[in-house]
Amino acid sequence: MEFVIQIVMTGLTMGSMYALAAVGLSLIYGTLGMFNMAHGLFMTFGGYMAYSAATTFGIPLVLGIVVAMVAGAAIGMVTHLVIVRFMLGTPDFGTNVLVATAGLGIVIEDLLLKTYGGYPYPQPLTVDGFTRVAGVTLTYQAMIIFVVALVLIVGVAWLLKFTRFGRAIRATAMNREAAMLMGVKADTVYLQVMALAGMLAGVAGLMISTQATLSPQMGGDLLLKAFVICVVAGLGNVWGAGLCAFVLALLEAAIGFYVGVRFGFPAMLLLVIVVLIWRPQGLFGRERVVRL
Amino acid sequence: MSDLSKSPPTRRGFLQGAGVTAGSAALLAGLNQTAKAQSNDPVVIGCPAPLTGIVAADGIEFQRGLEMARDEINTMGGILGRPVEVVFIDTESKGDDVVIQAAQRLLDRDNASAIITGYNLETGTAMHDIAADAGVIVMHSNTVAVHDELVKSDPDRYWGTFQYDPPETMYGDGFLKFIEDLEQSGQFARPNNKITIVTGPGTYSVNIANALNDGAAAHGYEVSLYETVKVPVTDWGPTLAKLRADPPAIIAITHFYTQDQAQFMNQFMTDPTNSLVYLQYGASLAAFRDIAGDNSVGAIYATVIGALQDAIGNGFADAYKARFGATASPNGGGQTYQALHAYAVAAALAGGPGAPYEEDQNRAVAERLKALIYRGPMGTMRIRPDTLSAYSYPTETNDPSLGMPHIFSQVHDKTKDGVLISPPPYGAGNYQTPPWMKG
Repeated sequence: MEFVIQIVMTGLTMGSMYALAAVGLSLIYGTLGMFNMAHGLFMTFGGYMAYSAATTFGIPLVLGIVVAMVAGAAIGMVTHLVIVRFMLGTPDFGTNVLVATAGLGIVIEDLLLKTYGGYPYPQPLTVDGFTRVAGVTLTYQAMIIFVVALVLIVGVAWLLKFTRFGRAIRATAMNREAAMLMGVKADTVYLQVMALAGMLAGVAGLMISTQATLSPQMGGDLLLKAFVICVVAGLGNVWGAGLCAFVLALLEAAIGFYVGVRFGFPAMLLLVIVVLIWRPQGLFGRERVVRL
Repeated sequence: MSDLSKSPPTRRGFLQGAGVTAGSAALLAGLNQTAKAQSNDPVVIGCPAPLTGIVAADGIEFQRGLEMARDEINTMGGILGRPVEVVFIDTESKGDDVVIQAAQRLLDRDNASAIITGYNLETGTAMHDIAADAGVIVMHSNTVAVHDELVKSDPDRYWGTFQYDPPETMYGDGFLKFIEDLEQSGQFARPNNKITIVTGPGTYSVNIANALNDGAAAHGYEVSLYETVKVPVTDWGPTLAKLRADPPAIIAITHFYTQDQAQFMNQFMTDPTNSLVYLQYGASLAAFRDIAGDNSVGAIYATVIGALQDAIGNGFADAYKARFGATASPNGGGQTYQALHAYAVAAALAGGPGAPYEEDQNRAVAERLKALIYRGPMGTMRIRPDTLSAYSYPTETNDPSLGMPHIFSQVHDKTKDGVLISPPPYGAGNYQTPPWMKG
């Protein structure tokens, strides 16, 4: 029984971080139709900015989360204003923007490296202490990660589902031209989506740096897993990405317990292959019919 | 003579004050004084090192160690009057492809006379053919047996690649012997006969883990869990749950990444088992204590190349920290520091370093390196003629003056380097029962 509880706890902690990363990635893909290769660096940037604020001003975790959100949103907006908006609507947008954001990621990584160096700094915005649940240790930090992720993802879901802002995003994602004809400012929507996704990434970066350490490459592993999650869920399906993040993290944790830790990620990749064979559009993706 | 050698007060001051590699420094200074430099061209040393990425904590120290040795050597007049210049290329904690390109660039673009680095995350044989083809000397501390095998397979081709520390195979037997000594002296009483081994996916970690696995039974231990983790390890939850379900007497982690080991201690200490924790190498760096904080106290770590805590080692460590700050790690920087000093002495004895493709001169330097018994802050570097790796003490020689000590240390204070507890005569303190263990 203790194993099961531990699996659930590990799965929920990891799933929270995966979800924060995957939901943002999926939101961008669903709305702009682009895969943001710089998303991992958005996370890293958020983690470092929170670190700087904490070491400079001694801010508490709550303010650190705000700093990570603002930093992530800012880098997302800058990415849109400086790169993406000039490429929207151009031929081969999907491929070109993939290369452009990959380049941006390298630039951000190098800037972080120049500024902070390669030393693995511990994240000061970490809450010490733990409690026990049915004989299993549960750290306060893991609880915070889960609660923060839950609040943010529910908040984003509420935004998308029940607000004018969310309707505009969904409308633009469904049909950009039709949305514009209805008075939606598509460019503004894209900017807002990049800010929203960046915000989630920034918090994901802060959270993962509390579990590991800060390094300019820290977002790479999470980006890879977020991509896997998005593919399994169906590229662009925000709800599916959130759900799959938790399911895959639980699967990874369970395999880690019962088979071996090293088999967790390969199992995720195997699942991707199976899903792509069985449902090429992903578990929650809609099939697109191309008429010739 | 070069300008660098015209500053006797500074040189004398260095020799009087350092106490670091005083004998060798005096030898180099003496050679420089009697030599007539043929040119003022700098001797370029190339260093491909992991300055970023998962093992950057080490790479940064490798860079610092070389910078410090470079400045000291230049203060003494360089190598036969020629100043030493070090060129670094970041290998980004990546593998053979990046290391090979970096090493080749250092030879072809920067005209490096030798390549000196710590370790890279390569197979351990990435630079051997480059060195052989260019006829230069490469010195590394990859700490791998595969280096030995390759050199033995074709000694005439791989004459110039030196592993200036012992291979990783020394770790397994060495650790089990260390535990046996602790038990025999009554300092450690095993609560049961179980040992858990946690390794990373790399050959290096796996080789050490396998050596432990193979040797455990002979020391009365049964391996209760053999776990391979994927890196980076963000959550140790699955591994810790298995440990807690069946607590072993010893937890041996051969996955050596500093931050992962620190996070292990952070997560282990939320509900520790009555187990002695052994962390291979990574915990020797200051970053480990920086990340793990109070949770680092009590952890035991080992390295086959670490700074000793005697007059030479402490002299180096003090100077190193005075220059690079309190969080700098002499255990990392001392590796390249000692290697460059040893190379400088060998090159001076051989009549000067050779350029790339000047094989005859570089072979002469290699012969001097092979014959050298060099005592630095990491202990004695004496090269095995058959493998071109350093002898290990006490596994390969029982004379501490003829082998590089495989040292065991324990963190007693999170603000200080771990205390060296074995082997004699280098011990600077005693083993202490970790705070989480029942006495």
